Amino acid sequence: MSRIGSWLVLSFRLNRWEVLASAAGVALMAAGMLWFTWQLRTLAATEPMCLDPSTYFAACEQSAQPFYELSSRAELLSYLGWAAAFGLGLVLGVPLVSREIEQRTAGMAWALSRSRTSWLLQRVAFAALVLVSLLLALAIASEALAAAQLPTHHLDHDFSWYGRRGALIVVRGLAALAVGVLLGALLGRVLPALLVGVFASALMFTAVSLGMDRWVEADAIVIDPASGDREGGRYLGQRVELPSGELIDYGELSRRGLSVEANDEQGRLFATPADIGHPERIIGWDRGLVVPGRLYPQIVLRESALVGGMASLLALAATFVVSRRRPG
Amino acid sequence: MSAEQHVLETHDLAKRYGRRTWALTGIDLAIPQGGITALVGPNAAGKSTLIKTWVGFERPTRGGVTVGGIDPWKDRSEVLGLVGYIPQSPSLYDGLSVDDHLDLAVLLRPDFDRAYARRRLDELGIPGNQGAKSLSGGQQAQVALALALGTRAKILLLDEPLASLDPLARREFLHVLTDAVRTDGATALLSSHIVTDVEQACDRLVVLGVGRILLHETVADALATHWMANDGAASSEGTAIGSFGGPGGERLTLLRVESPSAGPNLRPASLEEVVLGYLASGRALPGEAAA
Repeated sequence: MSRIGSWLVLSFRLNRWEVLASAAGVALMAAGMLWFTWQLRTLAATEPMCLDPSTYFAACEQSAQPFYELSSRAELLSYLGWAAAFGLGLVLGVPLVSREIEQRTAGMAWALSRSRTSWLLQRVAFAALVLVSLLLALAIASEALAAAQLPTHHLDHDFSWYGRRGALIVVRGLAALAVGVLLGALLGRVLPALLVGVFASALMFTAVSLGMDRWVEADAIVIDPASGDREGGRYLGQRVELPSGELIDYGELSRRGLSVEANDEQGRLFATPADIGHPERIIGWDRGLVVPGRLYPQIVLRESALVGGMASLLALAATFVVSRRRPG
Repeated sequence: MSAEQHVLETHDLAKRYGRRTWALTGIDLAIPQGGITALVGPNAAGKSTLIKTWVGFERPTRGGVTVGGIDPWKDRSEVLGLVGYIPQSPSLYDGLSVDDHLDLAVLLRPDFDRAYARRRLDELGIPGNQGAKSLSGGQQAQVALALALGTRAKILLLDEPLASLDPLARREFLHVLTDAVRTDGATALLSSHIVTDVEQACDRLVVLGVGRILLHETVADALATHWMANDGAASSEGTAIGSFGGPGGERLTLLRVESPSAGPNLRPASLEEVVLGYLASGRALPGEAAA
């Protein structure tokens, strides 16, 4: 057997339960997504006009009902796909080092391999290969499902289902893998590392989301929430446009001693309901901050670079820990 | 490598775990090239720690160690190229067969001599397709030894590989080890607390007390220069090393006598008694003398 073949076979045998469980989980999810995709497409084909707001007519309320019911169930599956990226990353990453330490095989392996870095690389490369293959399948299935659920959207330039479809699923999974490997190496125990990994991944995801919101703010445009311009965009939050033209958030408004208790149909904001009808008492206009949908590929690329960079740093940290730690 | 052909050396080696627990305290040791050296001592004497510092798995708190003149902490990769190592209670991968372990060794170490390791296992009748999980303790130890020998390393560090084996498995293990060492001209350091096995296989003896070296010489010299005396008869002959309880409850004292007159109260010490005498010297508690 060739060296690569031997590596694949042995790596599979060393991680067979995680690989088989992950593959089974992904197969189920992907099959579910494809089934929903097929069902939604079938339903959409029966009343295509009802799914387009421009051609929607009164009778659609009833005829499109099955589509929307199925659509909401399908959306639940997409959240499962989102969670799977983190779950699979941890399940495949945590045991790579921690189980070797827990089951006392690390001493033998690390003495046989002259370089722990190359040992770790061999182990991580296989896990990453499996993870990318599985998550790619999930990414493609979720992209198809999103397209079926949102038939009138151009998803290449649309933030709908952001992070629950496409490349981000794969990138986030790789970051979770790196978290798992690092925690496994640090803690040397599978279960504790897995539990801490769940919290660490949640923390990392939250930090990345907040960081991305800050990063893309410069690319955002100000919209009137009532205008419908939000379609396909990434909504960053509500803002108040002051009569001076300054754009501030509600926290800043409060710090300035102002409060909004009422607004009229034109989105004008007032301190009290009694002020409505008195334009001179206006506090400002209700505005939304939205990243336009056309920037979707660019933002996905940016987040991929950020998360990929974090994953690389975590992998470097894991390599450092493995090179210094006792085999148990 | 040093001029004296010492392949394993320590200089004032001390290792502390945490803030207070000293596993080794100022060890100076030089193991010459060739043959098998037994590293004997009670539990927690620091045997594993000493071996792990040579493999580069533990960093000395003070002093230094070298393997073939190389500091394993500074150049672990180089040292691991010289060393075959069996960790304490060697664990094989449950999900792999015996042959998978050999394949894995080739993957991890491209110069691993798979055919040599396989031949060693064939001689013992250990089938390649058998799962590691279903092997007996003795067979698992043999697979671990084959993995260490397959590296064709000139230095073998074996950390209590005999501890969990039955007498027959221990005998077979030592037979394979001595055969391999003699054939390849390797140097082996074997830690153990089973002195009787060591006596048959080893050329040199190192007795490690709690963190310090109590005796280091050839087995032949150790047997030639140590004598046993009943308590009270020892004063005029040589140097008293330590006292411990005999099998009949009598008190025995180990003496180091360079030129014994072999009086009526003296008899040659067995290797086990030499070890017990030195271990007793290392701890003066009365209750421990009967160990």
